[in-house]
Order: sequence, then structure tokens, then C-alpha cells
Amino acid sequence: MHARILDRELKKGSAELLILSLVEFRPRHGYEMSQIIEQRSDGAVRFKVASLYPLLYRLEKRGWIIGRWVEKAGQRRRRYYRITPEGRRVLAEQRLGWDRFVAAIKRIVEVGNA
Amino acid sequence: MPETRNWRQEIARALGEDVGKRSDVIDEIAQHVDARYRSLLARGVREEEAYRDALLELNEPRALASEIRSIAPSLPPRIEPAESASWRFLDVLRQDIRYGLRTLRQSPGFTFLACLALALGVGANAAIFTVVNAVMLRPLPFADPDSLIRVWESNPSGGWPTFSASHPNFLDWRATSTSFDGLAAMTNASLSASGPSGADIVRANAVTADFLPVLGASPVMGRNFRADEDRPGGNTRVAILTYAFWQRRFGGAGDVLGQSLILNGNPYTVVGILPPSFAWGTPTLELLVPLAPNPERSRGDHRLLVFGRLKPGVTIDQAHADLSTIAARLAKQFPDSNEGWTVRLRTFYDWLIPDETRRSLMIMSGAVALVLLIACLNVANLLLARGASRQRELSIRSALGAERWRIVRQLLVEAMLLSVIASAFGLAIGYGLVQILTWAAPDGLPRLDEVTMDGRVLAFTMGSAVVTGVLFGLLPALQVSRPNVSETLKLGTAGAGGSGSRQRIRSALVIGEVAISVALLIGAGLLIRSLWRLQQVNPGFRHENVVTARIHLPSTRYQGGAQAWSFYERLLDRLVALPGVQSVATSSGVPLSAGNTSSEIHIPGAPVREGGTALGADWRLVSPGYFRTMGIPLRGRDFNEHDTTESEPVTIISEEAARRYFPGADPISRMIHVRSFANKPSRIVGIAGDVRGASLDSDPGPMVYGSSKMYSGWNPMHVAIRGALAPDAYVASIREAVHSIDKEVPFFDIRSADDLVAESLGPRRFNMYLLTCFALVALLLASVGLFGVMAYLVSQRTRDIGIRLALGASRTDVLRMIVGQGLVLAALGAVVGVAAGYAMTDLMRGLLFSVTPTDPATFIAVPLVLIVVALIACYVPARRAMKVDPLVALRTE
Repeated sequence: MHARILDRELKKGSAELLILSLVEFRPRHGYEMSQIIEQRSDGAVRFKVASLYPLLYRLEKRGWIIGRWVEKAGQRRRRYYRITPEGRRVLAEQRLGWDRFVAAIKRIVEVGNA
Repeated sequence: MPETRNWRQEIARALGEDVGKRSDVIDEIAQHVDARYRSLLARGVREEEAYRDALLELNEPRALASEIRSIAPSLPPRIEPAESASWRFLDVLRQDIRYGLRTLRQSPGFTFLACLALALGVGANAAIFTVVNAVMLRPLPFADPDSLIRVWESNPSGGWPTFSASHPNFLDWRATSTSFDGLAAMTNASLSASGPSGADIVRANAVTADFLPVLGASPVMGRNFRADEDRPGGNTRVAILTYAFWQRRFGGAGDVLGQSLILNGNPYTVVGILPPSFAWGTPTLELLVPLAPNPERSRGDHRLLVFGRLKPGVTIDQAHADLSTIAARLAKQFPDSNEGWTVRLRTFYDWLIPDETRRSLMIMSGAVALVLLIACLNVANLLLARGASRQRELSIRSALGAERWRIVRQLLVEAMLLSVIASAFGLAIGYGLVQILTWAAPDGLPRLDEVTMDGRVLAFTMGSAVVTGVLFGLLPALQVSRPNVSETLKLGTAGAGGSGSRQRIRSALVIGEVAISVALLIGAGLLIRSLWRLQQVNPGFRHENVVTARIHLPSTRYQGGAQAWSFYERLLDRLVALPGVQSVATSSGVPLSAGNTSSEIHIPGAPVREGGTALGADWRLVSPGYFRTMGIPLRGRDFNEHDTTESEPVTIISEEAARRYFPGADPISRMIHVRSFANKPSRIVGIAGDVRGASLDSDPGPMVYGSSKMYSGWNPMHVAIRGALAPDAYVASIREAVHSIDKEVPFFDIRSADDLVAESLGPRRFNMYLLTCFALVALLLASVGLFGVMAYLVSQRTRDIGIRLALGASRTDVLRMIVGQGLVLAALGAVVGVAAGYAMTDLMRGLLFSVTPTDPATFIAVPLVLIVVALIACYVPARRAMKVDPLVALRTE
């Protein structure tokens, strides 16, 4: 039970960072994002529909990403999301914040148990 | 059949009526679920299960519905048209570039090393290409240079393949030839001008009136010489100044035309100013005066440089036939002077940029391209090493459907980025190298003053950036993107599985690098040996502690030989009294300097040669004591104060002349007839040792010496001083001595004999330094490559080494194993390199001196050097291998 709540809190804190970084260099669609997250984290983090799409729409509303329907040859049309300049700015900030946060935690946790 | 599951209905039902109306949202979620469904089917899951699992993606539909409800009103239901193809391409390219930049930033060590290696390679190439471009590729700085032809008189059987033309011959050519739009002549004229600091020498060319028109140049101010100024007895005291001289001497004054300049004691009127772009002769040229070619002059006195512009439609061969016919006619008309003389023609390009220069430039270009190749191989190696750690990320992308081509393209873009960045730095490095090259280049390099970077160099650099990017990027890109996807996804670590072939490729690259650097080292070694051999050549005189200078006696003040000789006599007396001076003399020419004087000779009483061709020799006029001053061995006797114009004419000849013209006999007290020595027979009284006349690498030809007291009046004369002090110490004293006799006599070109020797070695030394630099850089890069491969090898085989140690192998066994493997790579590279070096021997032949292109010493020394370097490169990795702790090694995966 503890683990689930912790997971959820951690996920909340880092979710925006995750999505923004996934679309930093190329547009992606929702399913692709969930797959990458699952594989890169070796299954530790999973975004299902209920957590993914509201997040995407929220980010889109804030203007950090833009969604666009794209029809590729031989495929059904899909909604691809790409990052905006504003989104890049936010991503950089969040990355910095995250790094600092993790470093601080490490420092607290590792220096003896005095 | 399973593909027609109606997700939309299911989802709409799960989310509720109102949300169900948002068809864009429903579509999107439907696709997500559908994608999950299909991937489960692809994995072999049963259809029922797949369907159920897919729907599980819709966890917490109520929460989802409420979230969507709260956001959805402000979401515009967009349905955009698909993007156009070109927009997508640019977009994708931009992303690739961004991603590539980030990747490079993330591994600064790699990026720095790769950029450094590439920048050096590209910079060196840019520098050499700048020189090649300026010297060989750019058109000569004359109007329509292809039709400009240089013309020489030629007497091959007399030993003069190219020689200056005489005044009457030139005038006859000009009058009767039909191939040229204009035939012009010039000669060097050193004139003394009076200036504020006493007499100064002015570098002038005496030219015919059509000199400027034939070159296609015209004065930027004033006018060219007129025909009546260019004939003997006409108003020849006019001058055209070069732009630089005008600025220097007249301060660029606008009213310079019509002003007077005192040259050789006579007033010359300035009639024109040349443009700053005038590109004839050396930058030290200061003015032009009329040549006034004189038909009364001796036909055998060759002193004119002749060139012409071909008539449109006439080829050089036609012109050659034309002039040879004229020359043949003159030979019949004037057999005494013209027998055996014909003509030789060359285009300006062939004349100004001789074969030798072109060949060395081409060899340097090849060498520097090889250095860049090694840098590329190095970077390819680095990329392959890095590729292993990116295998996983790329496999994920592969699994998600990115075609291999897309991944290859991404990697190529990264390689291109690296290449472009490195090339930008390389261009800056190249600029610096060009400055160094032009500063250090031997004076003999033609068009040195034109060496600048221009648009072509820029294009060349960009082109080489692209080529190098593809060269080092393609192989790793193809290798790393290989579809071995499922394997690497299952293995947790960087691909140990694919490393077998990758290791082989890396080893092959290193062998290539070593081979190339060995080949370059062999080339450099051959040049080093050549230079060394050349330095061992005995120039024929002792050049330590000798200073030479040139003196020009103004003809207005020194008319006649007696006056000239009296000046020199007083000068020599004064000079020999200076402290530390052991011996002084004058000479019309010193060894190893330009300006050859030659004459025909006859041996009275010798049988007439076949074909009636004449014997010839170089000549010099020297004062008594010359041979002692220059340290030239002498048999018989030197000239002395008894050899005057009243006594019997005497001559000293060189050993080579003795060998050639008096084979097997003692020439002393025999007679010889030297045309240039007043055309009177003279008695041989001494044999002088051979001296290298023009350069150290050409054999000394026959030489005859006349007494400068007997044939005085030659201008300018050299003064030579052998003293105990360093040459610099004498400069001021010489100047003082000269001016104490006559303030108006200019003296110039002060050089030590050591400098003369060093200068003649200049071009070879330069080539040697250049090629050695390239070879050393190549060796450095190759050893870094070897080091990298060995280090990687050790890190890959840590487990293996641990097992061996655990099974009882000693640490030195491990050391030997690693070093052995490294040496094998180096040895293979050396073998290939030596074979390549052997194949290049023809290329090198023209550059060598007294060293065969397959010189055994070089071919043995270079591989030895390589083995030593290879051992050093393997040392660190081998030591690391030795230090492996078997327990740790066995535990790690």
C-alpha cells in the first residue's frame, strides 16, 4: 500500500517532465509514449490511458505541447504530439529542478545515519 | 477478422454519453487500446485474452471521464490535414540535428577528441590546398596567360638547354617571326640612385616598349615607353615606377609624372606608374627603364629574357617551328656566333611552375589527405566503441517501427554535425598553418605572394567536411543499426553479443591506420636521408667565416676598366686591414648563387669536334687571392700583380674543365681560347678545385677563371672576405670602407657563405620538414587508435583474463598476451604499410638525392620505430590487464 502511494506521488511529481522529455526531439503519439516509458524503466513506471491522456490534454492546454492528427502511408491517422518553444523552456527548468531534488535527497540519505 | 473490434463503441460506453460525443478523444483512446490489442496478438496471446487485456488499458474509466470533462471544453476539436512531405523532411532534419547536438554535448570527452583529430586533419588539408590552389590552380596573374610563351636560345650539345638571348638575335626574331602578336625582352638592371643615406641600389628591369602590352598590363598613371625611347640613341632616360616604389620614394605624390630621378648619375624622367596589381618579377622590383635593344651588340653575348604572346589560333608548336627556322637561318648567316644555337619555347605556366614544384606539391597533397584519412578511421573507431552503449536505445526505436534507414540517417546526421563543427575549427587551424607555411617556405616557391585563402578553399573545406563525415560515419551507422534487436533487448547490458564482428572491424581500422602512417614515415625517412646526404656534399669551397657582398660601380663615374680596378684595389687594401681579416678578393660570381655566366671555348690545336659544335664552360672573373679567400684548392699558381693587360693573358681552369678538355694530359702552360675573355688565347697557369656552381645537387660543370684586373669593368662585382669574426661584425666596416673611397657606390646583398649553402638546401629542407610533420601526426593518431582498441579489448575480456589468472596463469603471461595481440595488429599494419611504401617509390624518385627509393636503411628503421611506438601504446592497457582481480572479474557479468 505504501509503495503504491509513493509511486503515485513520485509519478505525479515527475509526470510532466517525462512527457516533455519524450517529445523533445521528435513528435510521438500516446501509445508510443506509454511503451517507451514502460520499457526504459524496465516496467517500474506504467502510464495507462487514464493517467496518460488527461496529462497530455493538460499539457496541450498550457501550450507546452501541440497535438496534431497525422496520416502516414498505409496507417490509420494518429494524433502526434510535439513540443513547443514554451514547452522547451519548461522542460529545461523542470530538468534542473529534478536534478537538484535528486541530488539533495542523495546527500541527505547517504551521509552516515547520524 | 479480429481487426474489426469496435473500440469506439466500447470506450464511449465506458466513458459515458457526453464524453462519448468527443469523437477526437474517443478516436485517440481507441487507437491506444487498439495498438495494445495488436501487440498482444503479435506476441501470440489468444484473441479473447488480448481483447480483455487491451480493455484493461482503460483503467479507472470514471476518473478518466471526469478529467476529460473538466479539460475537454477548452480543447479545440482539431482535425488537421496531414503534413506535406517536404515540411516533414525539414522538420525531421531539424530534430535530428537537435538530437545529435545533445548527444555530442553529453559525451564531451569523445566529442573533444574526435573534433581535435578531425580539425587537425581538415586544417592541414585546407592549408596545403590553399598553396596548391594559389600556385597551380589559379590562372597566372596576366591577361590571357595561356598564350604567353617564354622563349630561350638553346644549345643542347654545348650543354645549354636554355640560355638567354642576345640583342641581335632577339631583334631578328622579332622582325621576322609571324607567330607572335608581340615579342618582348627584358634584363635585370641594377642602378644606383643617390638617396639621403648615400648611394642605394635600385632594382630595375630594362624592358622593351612592348613589354607591358604583351603582358597585358598598362600604367595606372602616365604612359608606357614609346618606340623612340626604346632604341639606341633615342631618349632612353625615362622610367616607369612600380606602385610600391612610388609610394615609398615619392610619398604617392600626384605630380610625380615629369619629375626627375638620378640613376647611375643621370637624370631619368618619370613617365608612368604601374598598378599595384602588376605581377611581374619579384616584389622588390622598383622601376622599369627602356632596354633599347642594340643590333650592333655581339651576337654571342646572351643576356636577354624573351617572351611573347601567340597570335590567336597559333599553337606553341607552330611558333617553335617558326622560330627554329629563323634560328637555323641565323646559324648559317653567322656561324661564328650562332652555330649550334636553336630555340626552346615553354608556356608561362610551365616556366613559372616547374615540374619539380608541381610534383612536390602533389606529393604533399597526397600525404596530408592520408593524414585526414587516418583521423577519419580514428573517429570511426571511436564511434564504433560508443555505438555499443547506444545499442539498447536504438533497439527500442527499432522495435517501435523506425526503419533502419531512419536510424542510419540519425547517426549520419550526428557524424555530419561532428564533421562540420570540426571543419569550422579546421579552417581556422588551416589559416594559421598557411601563415606558417608562407613564412617558412623557401624563396624558390613560385607565386608565394599570391597564397591566400579564397572561395575555392572554402568550398574545398566544406566538401571535405561532407566527405569525411560520410567516411567515418557510414560504417559505424550501418554497424550499430544492425537489426539484432531482440537479442539486445533481452540482454541487459551494452551489446557484448555483437562485439565479435565489431572488434574485427575495429582491428581492421587500426591496421589501416598503422599502414598509412608507416607509408608516410617511409616517405619522410627517405627525404630525411636525402637531405642528410645533400648536407654531406662537399660544395668545393670552405664556407665558414666568409662574407660576401655585391658592389655596383656607377658607369658614369667609373668609365673604363682601369678606374674600376683602381677602386677595387683600394677597397681590398682597406678591407684586408680590418681586424681579424685573413683574406679578401673580388669575383664576378660566388658559388651557389644565381647569375651564371658562360662562354664558348676553343682548345687551340685540339681536333675539331664532330658536327662543329663548340665547347663551353662557365666563367668567373676573380682577383688574386680569391681561391685562398674561398678556400678552393689550387694547383699551379694564382693570379698575381704581374698579370696585367700588358703581360701574356693567363687563365685558371677547374678540375672538371681539365678532365674534359685535356683528358689524360696536364693542362698547365697549355693554351685555351675563351671567347668572353676578350676573345684572345690565354695560357693556363692553374687548376682550381671543382665548386658547385648553381646548387649542391647538380654536378659541377667546367669552369674557367680570368683575372678581374685584366678584364676589369664587370658590374656588379662580389667582394668576399674571410675573417675570424662572425659575418655580422663586418657589415658596418665594409660599408665604411666602401664609402670612405666613394660615397656614391652602393653595396648590397651582404650574405655569409654559410647562408648561401643553407639557402641552397632550403627547398629540400622545407619538403622534409613538411612530410615529417605529417608522418609524425599520422603516427600519433595511429598509436592513439591502437591504444583505444587495446583498451577496449582489455575491458571486454576482463572476465576472460580473470579466468586465466584464476586457473594459474601469471600476470606476466597476461601482459604478454595483451602486448602480443597489440603487436600483431601493429605488425600487420607495418607489413601493409611497407608494401604501400614500396609501391610509392616511383612517386618519390624525383624528390630524392643520392638515395634510392627503396633505401634499405629507411625500410628497416621505420618498422622498428613503429614497433617501439606500438609497445608504448599497448603498455597502459596491458598493465591494466595485469592488475585484474580474478574474483572481481569472475563476479561481474
